[in-house]
Amino acid sequence: MDQTLEKIKSDCLSKIESIKTASELENLRIKIFGRNGKINQLFSEIKNVAPENRRQFGADLNQLKTELEEKLNDKKVLKSDQLTPAKSAGESDQLTSSIFGLPKVGHLHPVTQTERQLNEVFRKLGFSVYNSSEIVTDEFNFERLNVPQEHPARDMQDSIYIKEPEYLLRTQTSTIEAYLLAQKSKNLPLRAAFAGSTFRNEKVNRSNHFVFHQYQAVVVDKGITMKDLIGTMNLMFKTLYGKDVVVRYRCKYYPEVEPGVGPDMQCFSCHGKGCPLCKYAGWIEMGGSGMIHPKVLQIAGINPNIWSGFAFGMGLDRWTMAQKNIKDIRTLMGGNLAYKPNEL
Amino acid sequence: MKLIYSELKKFLPNLNVDPQQLRDDLTMIGHFTNYFEQIDGEIVFDLDIKVNRGDCLGYYGLARDLAVFYNLNLKAEISPLDKGEMSEGQTGLPNLPIKIETNNVKRIMAVKISGLKNFTSPQWLKTFITCHGNHPINLIVDLTNYIMFMYGIPSHAFDIRKSGEHLIWQMNPGFSEFTSLDGSVLKLNQDILMINNIDKALSLSFWGGEACAIDNSTTDIIIEIAIYNPTTIRQNSRNLKTVTEAGIRLEKYLDPETIPIAFNALTNLILENCHGQISSQLFDFYPKKINLPQIEFNPNQPSEVSGINIPQDFATNCLTKLGCSFPALSREGSGKGLVVPPSIRTDISLEADLVEEVIRFWGYNQIPTNQPLSQKNLDDITPKEIYLIDQLKDKLVELGYDEVLTWPLVTDPINPQTVIKTQNSINSEAIYLRQSLIPSLRQQLDQYTRFKLPNPQFFEIGKIFSQAGDKYIEKNALGIYHYNASVLRRDVLQNVSTDKSAIKFTNNFAEIILDNLPQPEKYIPKPIQNNAYELTSQIITLDANIVLDKPQKPTSLIEKYSQTIGDQYLWEIIITDIYHDTKTNKYRYTFRVSYFNTDDKTAKELHLKSFNLK
Repeated sequence: MDQTLEKIKSDCLSKIESIKTASELENLRIKIFGRNGKINQLFSEIKNVAPENRRQFGADLNQLKTELEEKLNDKKVLKSDQLTPAKSAGESDQLTSSIFGLPKVGHLHPVTQTERQLNEVFRKLGFSVYNSSEIVTDEFNFERLNVPQEHPARDMQDSIYIKEPEYLLRTQTSTIEAYLLAQKSKNLPLRAAFAGSTFRNEKVNRSNHFVFHQYQAVVVDKGITMKDLIGTMNLMFKTLYGKDVVVRYRCKYYPEVEPGVGPDMQCFSCHGKGCPLCKYAGWIEMGGSGMIHPKVLQIAGINPNIWSGFAFGMGLDRWTMAQKNIKDIRTLMGGNLAYKPNEL
Repeated sequence: MKLIYSELKKFLPNLNVDPQQLRDDLTMIGHFTNYFEQIDGEIVFDLDIKVNRGDCLGYYGLARDLAVFYNLNLKAEISPLDKGEMSEGQTGLPNLPIKIETNNVKRIMAVKISGLKNFTSPQWLKTFITCHGNHPINLIVDLTNYIMFMYGIPSHAFDIRKSGEHLIWQMNPGFSEFTSLDGSVLKLNQDILMINNIDKALSLSFWGGEACAIDNSTTDIIIEIAIYNPTTIRQNSRNLKTVTEAGIRLEKYLDPETIPIAFNALTNLILENCHGQISSQLFDFYPKKINLPQIEFNPNQPSEVSGINIPQDFATNCLTKLGCSFPALSREGSGKGLVVPPSIRTDISLEADLVEEVIRFWGYNQIPTNQPLSQKNLDDITPKEIYLIDQLKDKLVELGYDEVLTWPLVTDPINPQTVIKTQNSINSEAIYLRQSLIPSLRQQLDQYTRFKLPNPQFFEIGKIFSQAGDKYIEKNALGIYHYNASVLRRDVLQNVSTDKSAIKFTNNFAEIILDNLPQPEKYIPKPIQNNAYELTSQIITLDANIVLDKPQKPTSLIEKYSQTIGDQYLWEIIITDIYHDTKTNKYRYTFRVSYFNTDDKTAKELHLKSFNLK
């Protein structure tokens, strides 16, 4: 911390330590945090700091502010100084804290809540929960998912590279599927579900982010059909969104599945009539799925003439935002998402 | 991709479907249709065509699909040219002096037309061009664009006064610049596929040039339709940061065998509308005819894959209507046959592709939705770390901590020697993979401080990254913050780990790498559902005193005033002071109330009303 700020901190802490009464506490609070208080004065002096040091000074000042606020908050007074008889010799000088409130309740992030809901659905069907690395190779992110080098599907995903062309941040949770199939190809059948952060090279703004959260489930077994896939997806949607949810399943292209299936949920706002929320389509796209492409199985060392499987994936962020009435995607990560301290 | 209903009917004259139904049917067979609208008396659909169906970037390809779905006859030639007009070897007409000096060309057809009159386009054509998001230019140019939209393959016309007849298809021989039809000047490198003459850069493969632009005084033209190596087009388009309707199509796998129909239609439309006559031999460069795959197909396979019964003859009829041919049975008694897909379906190369065709035309909506997988006991392959993460989250929530998620990419490294830097992140504040959770949590704290959130305590479990030589290392870490450092210390040491050496305490933050913690054999997390709020303004905190004759339980008072204030704006309510005045025997309770997502005025009004302070 800046030396000037250290000195101010030390001085303030010592004053806080010596406080005995509520009015002394309040007076000191005003001196430090009031409109003309020390902290505001220091903020107004940032412009006088050398440009190369301003960033650090600002960070140190914020840290000082936080620390002093905490110290003052911890310092509580039981009785009003106007009504307290003067202490006689021998009485303790120690102040005790006496705050009454409802118990502080902790909360899970809404994305985690949705992941857990989905994990619960799939665990009951015998699925394990899986994960893998976020830095991946081109081979597992693309080639093993039937997207060779010059495939137009590569254009669907703007990648963030660590070391082009070989290493990048995974663009989809299907990459986890590629690792899983490679690792477990000799231990079939398998059922696994996984949530993960995925990355695309997008400019961060109100409706776009470079990191988002997806959920995926994969099954490989003998005799798996589209009926299994659609039935399982339907079970998942009804668990998440209620038994009255209306979902349709249409043909949709993804390179790693064939046939490909696109589930759409009827727009809960207009019930299929068309509105701004669903961009007048009447339906909201809910991710993608399909029967695992035979090339994807083959490259993993799995014989598609014996084994078949399905995979589906969906994004978690937009649905979470709709559920919690969040308008700005930046709120979900490092933003202004907060929880009422006493609300379950 | 836009689709005008009346134009679609040029390929499907017997199409008689309600637009709403057509929209739904197109969507169900794989061409998501957002909406349709009326523009200048036309019903226009807005479609989302997937990258594997380059053929459907033209009405012709979509019509082929719909012909199968609705069992209609397809009219492939919308403006057929009299075959006598253009036959190779017709005497008296010269050859076009065109050179192809690159192997990026799959097929070109070209012909010269002379004695033309160019006009403003008729209204129907202007409407067509406008509905597709383009500007009408003149009749010849608009007709080339019309054919592009109708058949999905771009076409181009060169004004011979400007270009000459000696056209060369080549990789850039050294032109440094190119001026496009709209006047944009592009800097070129040598890997650009172009059409030039000996002196001038005339056109890019996917964008016409100003140097040979058709205008109202044009009388002699060369028209061409060409397909190229899609990879080269895509690279050129990306390098030049230019997207055109032609480029969008040429970077897909297109069908060289479709070119003659499209070319005939274009030629005929120009002759009919602009007059003139064909004045050269037909130029047809097609060095390597496409080799269509022979796919072994079991007509029972669509039933096996879908899980429902799809009659075998439906499968066979469907593929026949799609344009497939059936050269032979592959093996005696195998029940399988060989199927050759039509050349326009460049996306069909495996049995699985044929199976999808049959199932989508039978109807995905025929597959029941109420038969999920049955439960099956399989080995649990869940990594133990996942159980640990869930266990930690539950413990911390029980202790009153809130979970946050922060950015895994950060602005500044902590240790430049081991940090992993991204090469191309377009967000300047997100360059490095984070090496610790604490800086990100600090930023979260700053954010909460800006919103005046009282007494924050939160945590995150996420990846941190580092590099050792060529190796990229990812570890899961737990980062925690509490406004009271002693409470933080107690919580961590009593509930997370007693090993102080594994924990990094920094002021009110703590961080632990999960590798250092014991992992449970199995842990099934609790089903926790809670609300979360997007703060839109600073939290406003106000105090109030109430005086009572008798003491009351603080929690009862808190609940009472919580109900009075209501949920909409109440963030938190606590009692900060209870004073018993022994002289008056009254009890004074001091409340501190925080309001959220409201303004000062509303908060104060609600506060005064709730505590009866007016």
